[in-house]
Amino acid sequence: MLQKYSFYWVAKALLSHYWRHPWQTLFLLVGLSAGVGLWSSVQIINRHAQTSYSQANTLLGAQANYWIRSRAQQGIAQQTYIDLRRAGFRQVYPVVETEVSTGQGDPISIIATDLFALPVELFENYGNDSAPGSPSDWLAFIQPPYRSWVPQQLAKELDLKAGGALLLRDGRKLPLALIQSRPGQGRQILMDIGAVFALTNEPRFSYLAVGTISPAKLRRLESFLGDDMELVENQQHLDLAQLTQSLHTHLTAMSLLSFAVGLFIVFNAVRFSLWYRRETILNLRLMGVGVPVLSAAILLETLLWSVIGTALGLLLGIQLAQFLLPGLSASLHSLFNASLSGIIELEIDSVIKAWLITLFGLAWALAWPLYQQLKTDVLPASSTGVAIDSERRARRILTLGAAILVLVAAFLYPRIDNATNGFILLGLLLFAAAWTLPLILAGSLRLIALFLPAHSLFGRWLLSDGWSQMPALRTAIMALLLAMTANLGVGTLIDSFRGAFIGWLEIRQSADIYIRGTNIDLQQLLNSEDSSDWLADSHLRIGVTSRWRDRPTLIRGADTRAPDSLSFPLAQWLGDSSADALALWRTQPGSILANEQTHYLAGLMLGENVQLETDDGLRDYRVVGFFYDYGNPYFQFYLPFDEVAKRWKYAYSRGLALWLKPPSNDVDNPMQRAEDEIRKSGAQAGDWIRQAEIRQLSVKIFDRTFAITSAMNGLTLIVAGIALLASLLAILQERLPQFALWRALGVRYDEQLLVMACPLFIFVSVAWLLAIPLGALLSWILIHKLNIVSFGWSMPMRWQMAPAWELGMLVIAVVIFTLLLTVIQLRRRLPEALARLGTLT
Amino acid sequence: MLSIRKLTRSFAQAEGSLRVLDQLDFDMGMGSSVALLGESGSGKSTLLHLIAGLDTPDSGDIEILGQNLTGLNDSALADMRRTQVSLVFQQFHLIPTLNVADNIQFQAALCGRLDAAFETRLVGRLGLQSQLKKYPHQLSRGQQQRVAIARSLLHKPPLVLADEPTGNLDEQSSLEVMSLFSELVKNAGSSLLMVTHSREMAAFMDRSVLLHNGRLSEIDDVAKV
Repeated sequence: MLQKYSFYWVAKALLSHYWRHPWQTLFLLVGLSAGVGLWSSVQIINRHAQTSYSQANTLLGAQANYWIRSRAQQGIAQQTYIDLRRAGFRQVYPVVETEVSTGQGDPISIIATDLFALPVELFENYGNDSAPGSPSDWLAFIQPPYRSWVPQQLAKELDLKAGGALLLRDGRKLPLALIQSRPGQGRQILMDIGAVFALTNEPRFSYLAVGTISPAKLRRLESFLGDDMELVENQQHLDLAQLTQSLHTHLTAMSLLSFAVGLFIVFNAVRFSLWYRRETILNLRLMGVGVPVLSAAILLETLLWSVIGTALGLLLGIQLAQFLLPGLSASLHSLFNASLSGIIELEIDSVIKAWLITLFGLAWALAWPLYQQLKTDVLPASSTGVAIDSERRARRILTLGAAILVLVAAFLYPRIDNATNGFILLGLLLFAAAWTLPLILAGSLRLIALFLPAHSLFGRWLLSDGWSQMPALRTAIMALLLAMTANLGVGTLIDSFRGAFIGWLEIRQSADIYIRGTNIDLQQLLNSEDSSDWLADSHLRIGVTSRWRDRPTLIRGADTRAPDSLSFPLAQWLGDSSADALALWRTQPGSILANEQTHYLAGLMLGENVQLETDDGLRDYRVVGFFYDYGNPYFQFYLPFDEVAKRWKYAYSRGLALWLKPPSNDVDNPMQRAEDEIRKSGAQAGDWIRQAEIRQLSVKIFDRTFAITSAMNGLTLIVAGIALLASLLAILQERLPQFALWRALGVRYDEQLLVMACPLFIFVSVAWLLAIPLGALLSWILIHKLNIVSFGWSMPMRWQMAPAWELGMLVIAVVIFTLLLTVIQLRRRLPEALARLGTLT
Repeated sequence: MLSIRKLTRSFAQAEGSLRVLDQLDFDMGMGSSVALLGESGSGKSTLLHLIAGLDTPDSGDIEILGQNLTGLNDSALADMRRTQVSLVFQQFHLIPTLNVADNIQFQAALCGRLDAAFETRLVGRLGLQSQLKKYPHQLSRGQQQRVAIARSLLHKPPLVLADEPTGNLDEQSSLEVMSLFSELVKNAGSSLLMVTHSREMAAFMDRSVLLHNGRLSEIDDVAKV
């Protein structure tokens, strides 16, 4: 009882500190909630994405275990579907997936089915709670003029209100909108199949989905299908999980870095809160409170902070996730055709994980300062002497730790074969650099001291003040170093990737027009009498989708003489030059070009034979070159057109590229003329796209993909800025009596500011200088190791100093801002400190 | 040297305003030394802070060497402190990151009045020759106060303000330090206004004044206080 009572008073005495020092409370909360918020936002997004992948096909049936598809990708005729239903296959229901362009040119996915044909379990899902609410809405959905069911997030992006109609690029409108979201719907608009047929003028289904079915019936269904159709297992969610794994690992790594930077604020706040309470702790010990009771009280405090920090962090995390999700969702849709729903749900395991990581962070931040505090003698020796020794010891321990991290990183380097290992390596290197920083800062002060004139007392004072600021600033400068390194490293990665991507687009998308519609008579277009007036060249490509090494794979047939085939950008080739390899591919039967992904992710080597499943059985092709294939998550092979047409009879058109002649007397506007001819061939708006538009769209997708990375990068830098501000304010509080003394000795504000600012600028400059090579190393590893093992894309690194200068300027601005805030605080609080000068110990 | 007229300073408190100094008048000649006595909370430290320009009076005037502090801005007050006034505190208040030599030179360096010969004499008289490379935390309390005294006198300020400079020392050390302090103040040609509770310390001064009810009164015989 007595123990419980004393525990209450000890806890009360310790916690009362936070009422008296609201700034520290605020910074502790900011550090915790920023770290946990950034980390949990990505966790929530990742979790949300994984749930969405597992529900990838739930919009039209999680039970769609199989799909019936046309081998030639020509869709399924209505009669086939009717025949199957008549034969008793009630588990089969039709699905149409198509894409339209909005008035602004943004692609929008539409999915449609015949709701009455859905298996009972699905019909209950869609017919009852998720379809339009009232019976009249329900009927309106399935009867002309129909309704389109638009997910909330998409409606928000398109600025589409309920009852409004989305205007398409060709001037037509979608049926009136009902704004409703459903897990698994993602960014797809759901419509009745009749509405889609009216829209596309193409009464064929994309595929037939098969619900729960017995093995015997499945075999019967397979035998029922003609040769031109195939029954394939629905592996969409498995593929998505596999394809997107690296992307999510990248995001997790970024969020862990943000958490670490946030933790530096916590570390500082905890350190200072213990420092301020050293008298309280010593007094409690003098009054007979034992270390176990003190430890228990501090443990209780830690638990309290962890709960509050987790709650605030999760609130922030949800907001951030909601802010970041639309961009990521759009990217995932563009890259992987994955749909994420716009509704974020917080799972209990995310809450528990967030709490555990908060607790871990707090315990990690608290352990060393608390140990130091509690092991201090009840009657301590000179605190300055202890602080100097402690700082020197801390520097040694950190440097030793850094050396160990570097050794582990060196051991790990040759073993990087996946994104997780790669990020562990990066983490080790970053923390090794951060832990070496105090030694480098100390070294820089010693170095400056060598160049100071012997008689310069002011210089010695300035440097000595640097030494005294170092313990307090150390962690903040470490956080700043991490944030700056990440900023430069990731910035260089994005910049390099963007440069490589745009350069690659210019070569790969050299045609003036790309046609992708399926209801166009391409031969008629190419063979029209006067096509030679405006058409310089063309490239008709065909392809089949397959699986190779358990991953979706595209096999394409290309015209080896087409302009874009002649300048195929190869990353690696057999022979002396890429031109030799391309010549080999054109002329030597059995030669194949493979994308880099097959090399880096599946281990395919130059000159090696790749075995592909053709209609005639397995055939070997010799790899003569690997081509760049940015943004493609799938494996891809290029064979000559005739080879694909011969070996895969259901190869289907993958589009036509047209190169136009320059304007001439006969045709003054070839583009206009070409588009007129394309229309005459049966094409509708959206079936073709101009070069400038497709490039713009590709770059837009690229930028959107990296928007979340840039956002995380920026937020991490802001958190580091807050860490710096928190440290400076803590220094101000800690050293206020000293500053008061300076004033009493006649030191002016400008001199005082100079003494405070100079060491800070020295430290920040050293951190910035260190961040430059570290950032370059980080981007080198990201580009040449992680990007390759994660995505299979290689690219040259483009290092530029301009971003480093910009970052330097930004950090200086942050430092000046924090100094200004500190000076304002100083002016406000100095009179009180001066008045207490005679009474302070 | 120091002239104070109708000085008033109040502090807001929960129970209302507390007038610590009330229309206080005081004068001090060049080279003189005065002990300022009074009960705890009588306003002795407040008076010292006002004279040093560390605090602002509600009303009244303070003149040091003919310069009125009223209306001086922050920088001017800082300049006045670094050149005309020295402060010595009970807690010494040395700069912990500078060694003893730098601490001693600090204020003299700030106002550009470093006198190497005087420094050698001062250091010698205070017995600090062997301590110059050490840092404050490596010294005893008595030694730290000697360093604070050396710092306050090296630039030969016209006025030294001391707030119980020996309050943190034992009796024997107090007497030694005080004896040295008063001697060195005289050698430097400075005036000394010293807050003290101790009659023994007050005895080192030329005259003593008592602060009571916000005003000063002369004490003819310190032993009777």
